Amino acid sequence: MTALAEKVVDWGQLLEVAWTSILGGVGVTAVFAVALYGAVKTMDTRRGGQGAIVVAYGVMTVLASSAVLASVVFAILTIKTK
Amino acid sequence: MDHELILLIIVVVTALAFDFTNGFHDTANVVATSISTRAMAPNIAVGYAAVLNFVGAFLSVKVAATIANGIVEANLITEQVVFGGLIGAIAWNLVTWYFGLPSSSSHALIGGVVGAAFAARGADAVIGSGLLGKVIVPALVAPVLAFVVAGGAITVIYRVVGRLRPGPTSRGFKVGQILSGGLLALAHGTNDAQKTMGIITLALITADKLKVDSDPPFWVIAASATAISLGTYMGGWRIIKTMGSRILKMDTAQGFAAQGSGAAVILASTHVGFPLSTTHTISGGVMGAGAAKRVSAVRWGVAGSIVVAWVLTLPAAALIGASTYGFTRIFGTGVAGPLVAFVLIIGVIAVVFARRVAQGSAITAATEG
Repeated sequence: MTALAEKVVDWGQLLEVAWTSILGGVGVTAVFAVALYGAVKTMDTRRGGQGAIVVAYGVMTVLASSAVLASVVFAILTIKTK
Repeated sequence: MDHELILLIIVVVTALAFDFTNGFHDTANVVATSISTRAMAPNIAVGYAAVLNFVGAFLSVKVAATIANGIVEANLITEQVVFGGLIGAIAWNLVTWYFGLPSSSSHALIGGVVGAAFAARGADAVIGSGLLGKVIVPALVAPVLAFVVAGGAITVIYRVVGRLRPGPTSRGFKVGQILSGGLLALAHGTNDAQKTMGIITLALITADKLKVDSDPPFWVIAASATAISLGTYMGGWRIIKTMGSRILKMDTAQGFAAQGSGAAVILASTHVGFPLSTTHTISGGVMGAGAAKRVSAVRWGVAGSIVVAWVLTLPAAALIGASTYGFTRIFGTGVAGPLVAFVLIIGVIAVVFARRVAQGSAITAATEG
């Protein structure tokens, strides 16, 4: 039974799909949420005139947005090459 | 016109008809959550998905001609078997669309071809281990994995943005949905249009119109891209309604989590080379994004009906594929059988389609936009 399961299913491949999906799915959506958090906080703190905090949230937004955009580019390359 | 050429034309037209139903049926995977959360108006959403499906079809031809590869014995495939398989897939796609149930078009196609091959050559034509490893195990993995990933994603998202003002946060997630929906549409266009390209290429090779191992000619790529994007633009509104609002009433964060997780799972499986159904993945993602917030938020009765449709897809498409093959063989091995079956089926589809369309769309721009 175990031999049959090993012959039919590539468990290594399956495990790779699982961890890359979790990393990509939870990771990228979390980074997107961080970008959104930064963007909304930037707007809020700008109104309060808190210069240093505005910059900090702005940097957070730019970095997180860049990471999301990089993952989109990686996704398009994956679609194109596979 | 000789009989071989007529048979080839029938197979090509039927393959494009399948491609159309594939786009029509799977529009929901890409646009349902965006329409449900009002990230995009319905007509804009299907137009966006159609354009990206069209573009996606031109991105790669690397997996063309691999449909049912390793699942049925390739040397036993004839044009009549392919025809039977296509009719099985089209019929099952239309049955599930009629009832508004999202089911896998790829599984329907594989089921149809397996059934027709079984009817033609018996059990020896079907590679059981391939069917289990390439279809059944991935069918179990896809929704469970997407459920877990979407559940994890929405939990993290709520932690990060939970105390923010809802207005700009919601608008931000709508942008995220447009982005993730675009990726899904591109991936769908690439993966699913290639199946049709593969079938048409195989038929051209069988009819000695192309050399073995040829890439699909440009007209095949263009025709497949056009058929799937036209189908997508027509929009399977009944399935969109099921996926977008009957399983779960979702907020923008849940819509983004479901769609973003679905895109991540599909792209991860594409990257690794493990085939997962888009439909199963997105459905699992929608349920996961709902259940992580509140288990009772998911309408489990609707989810159960969807799972029943998934379980029935392979055997039902196989049965229709086998029956179609058997019917065509009544007229011998020539063109007469597929021609009669083609005319009959076009008539039946036209009647059913006209009746359903006459009942009106399940969603309109006025109600959802």
